[in-house]
Amino acid sequence: MKKDILKLGAVLGLILVGLVLGGCGESRSQFAGTYKSVEPFGGKDYIDLDLQENGKGIWILAGKTVEFTWVVNAGKIFIYTKPGAILVVTPTEGGKILSADMTGDWHPGCPPGSCLTFKRVKDGG
Amino acid sequence: MEATEKPEGAETSAGLRLCQLGHEVSVPAGARIVSQGEAPEFFYVIQAGRVRVFRETADRIQTNLTELGPGAYFGEVALVTGQPRSASVEALEDAKLIKVSKEEFDRLLDHNPQLARHIIQQLANWLVAGDRRVEAEVVHQVKLRQISWFDYVLMLGLSLVLSLVVNIYNDNRIPLVHGWGEKNVIPEIALNQAEEMYRKQQAIFVDARKSAFYSQQHIKDATNLPVILFDLMYPMFQFMVAQEGKDKTLVVYGGTFSRRMDIDLARLLKHKGLEHVVVLKDYTGWPKVFPLQEKAATTPGSLDLGFAGFLEWLPVSIFVLILIPPIRRSPYLSVFCRVLLAAIFISFALSKIMRPAVFALNVVDYNLTPAWGVNLWSLALPWGELVVGLFLLLGIRTRAAATLIGAMNVIFIVGLVNAILHHMPINCGCVGEVGEPVNWWKVMKNTGMLVMCIQIFLYDRFLVLDRGGFIFRGRKI
Repeated sequence: MKKDILKLGAVLGLILVGLVLGGCGESRSQFAGTYKSVEPFGGKDYIDLDLQENGKGIWILAGKTVEFTWVVNAGKIFIYTKPGAILVVTPTEGGKILSADMTGDWHPGCPPGSCLTFKRVKDGG
Repeated sequence: MEATEKPEGAETSAGLRLCQLGHEVSVPAGARIVSQGEAPEFFYVIQAGRVRVFRETADRIQTNLTELGPGAYFGEVALVTGQPRSASVEALEDAKLIKVSKEEFDRLLDHNPQLARHIIQQLANWLVAGDRRVEAEVVHQVKLRQISWFDYVLMLGLSLVLSLVVNIYNDNRIPLVHGWGEKNVIPEIALNQAEEMYRKQQAIFVDARKSAFYSQQHIKDATNLPVILFDLMYPMFQFMVAQEGKDKTLVVYGGTFSRRMDIDLARLLKHKGLEHVVVLKDYTGWPKVFPLQEKAATTPGSLDLGFAGFLEWLPVSIFVLILIPPIRRSPYLSVFCRVLLAAIFISFALSKIMRPAVFALNVVDYNLTPAWGVNLWSLALPWGELVVGLFLLLGIRTRAAATLIGAMNVIFIVGLVNAILHHMPINCGCVGEVGEPVNWWKVMKNTGMLVMCIQIFLYDRFLVLDRGGFIFRGRKI
């Protein structure tokens, strides 16, 4: 009986560890770095995006700084802001170019008008 | 049962003595001495070693009855009743036995009334013990089927306490009631007044909803500033306000029952120092009053959920499985349903627990929850999914757990159907990330899960850790 419960506990533990580890996402190192928007946002100002390897990040627009966290999952970058928004960012060219869907959802083509393109200007976070 | 300890009188009676009968046999460990169901031919007395007496069902579930050592005997019941063997006997270690034939055994009884009386006494004891075991098993099964309010209080209470405690220490914590105690009261404006300002171009109309809702339908020439992207997009909005005229009134509108978008955005704009900010009083009335820009609803794209997405399809198999009567009632199917539902609910819960704010906005999207309930629901639901999922997996209070999972599925189905019928451009939000589509397939998956809950409720009785102990293969009585 005790052995059965121990076995059951071990299996459950493994399942939970697997699930928790699975939820941690993939390595960030490939995409860590500093990026700049290719075009000025709304025709006004460029956006600086700093993705740090520890999962933190900074978005700078018109001198205003917004902090966020980010993870990599299924080859896409998910940016989480404090109020609860998620930006889905699709990296291309090995992470040199990032396409951010500014709708707060994800659309296969990154919708024109709501798509921001960033180019890497510096490696590392 | 047909095994017992040797009575003293067996060797001391005036008649035949056991040691004068039969012949000695050696049995290696693990060998089957007697098989359940076979015709009885011999009676055995153990001289050395230990044996196990057990019953076995057709699907190989074994019930251990007893273990016997030197001096004990077995095999007499079938010889007395003439019925096939009622249990099997297997050597646990190398054993030496005296093997007595049926004729010798009958002769022994004829000449040894003390032994005969002892066997009758043992048979009577077994009958009484058997009745007690049957009663204990019935009581256990009845208790297993019972559900009480305590089960629900336990699971819901545990979920609530965990959600509140973890929220305190979570970096992404959210207030229990959104906007509770906010001093900034935003003035409201009536639809007709707002419409007049619109005509006279005295106001800037700001749509606070997510861009998918805005794209689907918005007041003509209104600006979209999704409240969730406020921090990121406010600098651009500032430019726009500066261009349009700082003195114009900002009329913020949303359209959700919780007023989460419009009132929040208005508060944020006030915090930024903008003076003339108002919200529309009738938050659902604007489509009837203002000229609109509309576009057909487009569902946001769906991202591959990987293993979780595969798991979610498995409940659909229940629609086929319940058509096969023996499987429909099988406790093995209950175990399959429990493990599957637990895996789905636990994995989905873990994806939401650490980011309650993201999930809260998904709850807002469904437009069914009042403002005060959004955060509470967003905090408690993932913990409820996790706790109830674990109860299902461990086999604790499974009927109550199945009821709760079933109730959650009913709520999800209502939300999904409402979203589909109202063409809401939203994602499910079930996994805490973007990308899971809201469609009739999703409804079918949830309906499959609901049917699984009903199956568990009706037939689950195996691999359960519940009142009275853990029921497992080869259980001992």
